[in-house]
Amino acid sequence: MGYLRGFAVTAKKIFEGVTTKQYEGGKGGKTDQKAPKPERLHGRHVLNKYEDGMEKCIGCELCAGVCPANCIYVRGAENPPSDPKSPGERFGYVYEINYLRCIHCDMCVEACPTEAITETKLFEFSFSNRSDAIYTKDELLVDDDGRPQQLPWEDWRDGEDQHTSGWMRATAPSGKASAQGTVAWSGELGYGVRAPEAAQNVRTPIDAAIEAVAVDTAKAEEKG
Amino acid sequence: MTTAEPTEAVTGVPFTLNGTELVAEEGELLIDACDRNGVHIPRFCYHNRMKPVGMCRMCLVEVDTGRGKALQPSCMLPVTPEMKVETESEATKKAQDGVLELLLANHPLDCPVCDKGGECPLQDNAYAFGPGETRFVEEKRHFKKPIPISDLVKLDRERCILCDRCTRFASDVAGDPLIHFIDRGSQTQVNTFPDHPFSSYFSGNTVQICPVGALTAEPYRFKARPWDLEAVESTATVDSTGARVVLQSSQNEIVRVLGVDSDAVNWSWLSDKERFSYEATAKGDRIEQPLVKNEETGMLEATRWNNAAKKVGAALRVEPDRIAAVGGARMPLEGQYAWAKLLKGVVGTDHVDAQLDDGLPGPLVLGLPRATINDACKPGGVVVTIGADLKEELPTLFLRLRHAVVEDGVKLIELTSTATHLSDFATVRFDVTPGSVGQFATAIAKQAGADLDFDVADESGLVEAQADKVAAAAALLDGSVPVTIIVGRGNLAESPRFTSDAVGIFRRLNDDFQFMPALRRGNINGALEMGLVPGFTPGGVQRESAQLDTWPDVPDFDGMDTKEIFRAAAEGRIDTLLLLAANPLQDFLDEDLVRRALANVKTVIAVDGISTETTDLADVVLPAALFGEVDGTFVNLEGRLSPLRAKVTPPSQARPDWMIPAELAIVLGVELGFTTIDELHSELSEVLPSFADIDWDTLGSSDDGPVLKLNRSWNIEFGKPAAAPPATSAFRLVATRKLWDQGTMVQESPSLASLPSEAAIHLNPDDIERHGFVGDSVTVRIGDQTHTIPLTSDVRVNPTTASIPVCLPGFDARTLITGRSTTAVEIRPNGTT
Amino acid sequence: MPTNTYVDHAPGYVDNEGPKIVTSRFGYEDSYTLERSLATGGYEGLRTALTKAPADVAAEVKDAVLLGRGGAGFPAGIKWGFMPPVWPRYLVVNGDESEPGTYKDRLLMERDPHQLIEGCIIACYALGLNTCFLYVRGEMADAQERIGTALNEAYEAGLVGKNIMGTDVSIDVVLHWGAGAYIVGEETALIESLEGNRGMPRLKPPFFPAAKGLYHKPTIVNNVETLANLPWILSNGAQAYKEHGSEASPGTRMLAISGHVNRPGVYEVPQGVVSFRELFYGDNYCQGIKDGNELKAFIPGGASAPWFFDDQLDVLLEAKDAGAAGSMLGSGAVVVMDETTDAVKACLRVVRFFARESCGKCTPCREGTSWEEKVLQRILDGYGREEDIDLLLDIGKNISPGEYPVAAFGKANLEAVPFPPKQTTICPLGPSSVAPITSAIRRFRHEFEAKIAAGPQNDGHSQAPEASTV
Repeated sequence: MGYLRGFAVTAKKIFEGVTTKQYEGGKGGKTDQKAPKPERLHGRHVLNKYEDGMEKCIGCELCAGVCPANCIYVRGAENPPSDPKSPGERFGYVYEINYLRCIHCDMCVEACPTEAITETKLFEFSFSNRSDAIYTKDELLVDDDGRPQQLPWEDWRDGEDQHTSGWMRATAPSGKASAQGTVAWSGELGYGVRAPEAAQNVRTPIDAAIEAVAVDTAKAEEKG
Repeated sequence: MTTAEPTEAVTGVPFTLNGTELVAEEGELLIDACDRNGVHIPRFCYHNRMKPVGMCRMCLVEVDTGRGKALQPSCMLPVTPEMKVETESEATKKAQDGVLELLLANHPLDCPVCDKGGECPLQDNAYAFGPGETRFVEEKRHFKKPIPISDLVKLDRERCILCDRCTRFASDVAGDPLIHFIDRGSQTQVNTFPDHPFSSYFSGNTVQICPVGALTAEPYRFKARPWDLEAVESTATVDSTGARVVLQSSQNEIVRVLGVDSDAVNWSWLSDKERFSYEATAKGDRIEQPLVKNEETGMLEATRWNNAAKKVGAALRVEPDRIAAVGGARMPLEGQYAWAKLLKGVVGTDHVDAQLDDGLPGPLVLGLPRATINDACKPGGVVVTIGADLKEELPTLFLRLRHAVVEDGVKLIELTSTATHLSDFATVRFDVTPGSVGQFATAIAKQAGADLDFDVADESGLVEAQADKVAAAAALLDGSVPVTIIVGRGNLAESPRFTSDAVGIFRRLNDDFQFMPALRRGNINGALEMGLVPGFTPGGVQRESAQLDTWPDVPDFDGMDTKEIFRAAAEGRIDTLLLLAANPLQDFLDEDLVRRALANVKTVIAVDGISTETTDLADVVLPAALFGEVDGTFVNLEGRLSPLRAKVTPPSQARPDWMIPAELAIVLGVELGFTTIDELHSELSEVLPSFADIDWDTLGSSDDGPVLKLNRSWNIEFGKPAAAPPATSAFRLVATRKLWDQGTMVQESPSLASLPSEAAIHLNPDDIERHGFVGDSVTVRIGDQTHTIPLTSDVRVNPTTASIPVCLPGFDARTLITGRSTTAVEIRPNGTT
Repeated sequence: MPTNTYVDHAPGYVDNEGPKIVTSRFGYEDSYTLERSLATGGYEGLRTALTKAPADVAAEVKDAVLLGRGGAGFPAGIKWGFMPPVWPRYLVVNGDESEPGTYKDRLLMERDPHQLIEGCIIACYALGLNTCFLYVRGEMADAQERIGTALNEAYEAGLVGKNIMGTDVSIDVVLHWGAGAYIVGEETALIESLEGNRGMPRLKPPFFPAAKGLYHKPTIVNNVETLANLPWILSNGAQAYKEHGSEASPGTRMLAISGHVNRPGVYEVPQGVVSFRELFYGDNYCQGIKDGNELKAFIPGGASAPWFFDDQLDVLLEAKDAGAAGSMLGSGAVVVMDETTDAVKACLRVVRFFARESCGKCTPCREGTSWEEKVLQRILDGYGREEDIDLLLDIGKNISPGEYPVAAFGKANLEAVPFPPKQTTICPLGPSSVAPITSAIRRFRHEFEAKIAAGPQNDGHSQAPEASTV
């Protein structure tokens, strides 16, 4: 009669409930809400821009080089001097991530020297053909406000577009340290204009000096 | 600590390296001795193929020569007995650390943008020997970001670490001192003179040797990153020097070619044509599918291989005497053998010629004892050049020879119709009027003691006028030192007979003289060796004495050369003409004859990788794979075998050359006997004694490649040379070649296509003055035709000689060439007739 | 009213008491003419020399222990002996005097060009060569003109050229104007410049100019003042020469004294017997520090030399003494700084000169000197950091490893580090930039610290530096 023990397992499990998580309040629930996501969730990527609309990606291919799943394809090209896409000589003119391969290890984010690629908490990859699984540069690039592009299969709820670690350095695309203190995006999550951030490098007396000069100038301007 | 076993240095200089007793070679630089013993000393400016300068100070090591320890640049210091060297002492490390911190102080950290990032010696050394952090908090030095210093090279002065490699290369190796240091202190920069771009044939080498990303080549800029490149070693096929190269590809496209330091051949140098013409394979107008002419519309239409093969098969089923083939110098050796076997062994025609009447007679080239480049360049020897300016035709060989003559004291005797880029360094240079080279050779040989039973009349007094030079040359050729004679076709408006006469005289002067055929076409030496020349079968064997067990047949008549083939074709005596990667409309000297020939042949079959004006006129076009797309073998002008390797896949239906005749043979109902390249190699080793010992699998991978032992069982009889035609008031024409021309590989490479200059007639300034030529063009009369041609004053041209390069944009110089043994043209001031 | 600072600080030759070996004609208005020269014993040394065998002339010079006056102080007679018996060989006269503070060679060329030409011919005769290249600094317009005129006169008078003074000796002197580069004062850079190349030093070893110099032929490079001594030596003999100066350093040398003294100028001073104290305070010389101020520091031998201070006032004007005390007599330029001098500013001035004049060949010098300059400028502007002082010293160590020569500092019980410095560079230009830094920081560290502590001052010239960027 050993098979009865098998039935016993089934009977026990019937009442334990399902492990599949529905959006909170999903099927049969009262509200249609997603469950809170862990703080360090690795979702799909975005390609960030500087506040002036410059792309941060310089096409250096370090992300592609470090990717353990070989899912990133980047090609660089020379920036047209009259209409540069990114600061510097080079920009990424092809940028593709194949989400059938991506394991969301975040190593591309660590390798990126300009913080051009970051991961969001967007996780819905419900494409119905293989070519949809390859996100192109157009799809990955944030818009001029830093907001990621919503792909047809992504189910965004209020505030979810803020879950896109689109942060940036406190320097301008030109790389001038004197641009410190100008308004820029910052913070781990979200997009849009935030309060200025202090320098990321270690503070040195020069920094203090520059600030002092900035303050002096500001005062002089107030007076004059 | 690495203390590798010292490699053998039998008699040498004992010294101590990091406490280990070692032996250096006599006069060896410390940095080389350390390298040889497995101790790497970081360096930037030192390059083993150039003179050291000790600029970067990266290779400082602590050396004690008995007067106390001191930091010395190991790249400038020959090892002396009992020298004690510390490469890992505190002082050495401090110096390395310091130099790197200083180098990085003003070096922009744009590595992610920089093309060198990932393969950069500065990065590598900074990681291995440098400080982790910088203390430099000041504003870095700024220059305008990359400035073009030539059509091919861009210079980013911010990244430059002033190692002097590019400038040294330009002035010392290439002899084009067009880039220099300017300004001082931390503002020192490399730059060109205003309005004088770095337009050197060798500019790409500076990019390869730049230890940072300061110099970048236009074709490779931002194309790929070092870590996504795949690489394979191969051989450059644009000329017959056979420079060893690395092909690098990314995403199945060749993106870069680098020179390999082959001690026997190119010493890591390449000409820009060898370096950048890879573009033609990826970006050229490729033939991707077999094309057959639609009888009704007259247009070429894509078809399937078996359709095209059937059509070719039908065309080959005519009398062997009515089938001819021209070309084949571009192909790997395997393709050449397969075509030779099909045409000569199966079809049975001997009308096969790989040269387009612009080289030297096949029997002459096949029958000469060959010198290697190292033989020719060995210090203490004498080199005689007959014919061309090597810088224009075989630029990499030119670099080797230039080094030998300028640095190693090799004596140079020049017998060329115009001065060359080596003339300034020549020990003896003759002003050889077209047609007189045999006469000079006779005079020299007689004076050097040759037993000649004839004299060549010196009617024009040309030789008499240079009697002291004859004496000087004769003294050098007395047989006491090794002599290499580099013989090429320097003048397309002159019969090659004069050159072969001169060669014959030198052969009779001394049996030990060695020769080097300076034919420019890629694998021409392979083609001749494989029998793509009338009268011969593979292995340089004359048709009558051929013993080829694996061949069904050999031709039973002596074939025609290219010129005769086209004449016969124009007269309707040829039914089927195969063009094996040949573009005679562009390359053959008589364009009109080619047009008539193509029109009068029943079936023209073109086998090529790139669409040309000639393939457009063919009845069947078979697509062939090109350089970098197929495995194979190359034979250079020394007779050295080196590998050609595939790195990318051929486009669409293009096939390796050797497969095409194999397939056609099947259509003809015969098996060629090989279905893989390995089987083809086995057959080669079996039937040709000179290939018997070749290890095809490891060919050239661990050494510079084997040199074929060419023991010819026959000898060419040389008689009395032809006398030079008498002097006239007209100018003798010298038709030369330029590196940048209208040839397919240059024109199909986007970066190179605009480099050829407009054709112009070059005259000596004295002649220009004497004849009162004014303005920038002259009227040239030949026969009953007159042409207005741009004029250039050129001191390199001998008086009473007019030089004009063929195959350039603008005026087509071929229209001046009559086909007589020499060509005379009348030149008048512009506007007169 | 415009102040002519040139006259203020460099009034030229001062006619003081003492032996006159090279300045004997400086008193005459027309001292540069052939007429005056011949009237005052000019070309007599050459006449004497031509009566002797060349080897005897060389022996006479060797016997006189004529020390090179260009900076290194190596005996000319011994240097001449290094020449291998290879012809052609050349004499190159280094008239590219550009060490800051030095202007003695200029006076020798302007005021007595015939003495120099005579010296050249004597040297050529002694060395058995017939071509001498006279390289005159690009900026010295007057000297160029006078030398040129004098040479034409001498050629006409048969004193130079074919069959000199009717003998079968023929010697040509070729004039060459520099294009204005300090580094060309270094002998191998001068040779490069003469050959028509960019003036950059060659590495020696392997080849010293005496073995492989101009056009890769044996070449002797001598300073103007060195050769100007030859006529006197030949006229009066080595013994008479050795009666002047000390035993180790016979003869006199020209010292160009500038800065805060009452009577600056060029003096001809017997070598090895006069101390700096006598030089600055003696009535025969500078007659005290300007305005009665205290002496702060002085540079004893051109801008490349480490500084001396009051501790070193009793050092004698002799190469060996100065070297042991941690500096050198170098090119004979003495720059005096009184208590009003700002040590940081003075240091910056000197370093900036080297940064501008670095030829760019060796990394440590090219990058190091301009870095030093930037840091010093920052400190001076009040944006210095505490670690900048050690940073400066460490940059110096990357150009000149080990202990840099520096004078003793009695009060702090700091010993002298003897001359010369070690170098990671080909020539001493880079290491020279370290001299003012080590000297000033050892003695006046407090001034650097004060500047750093005070921060930017509203003195109208302080500028906030731009920070490093990628």
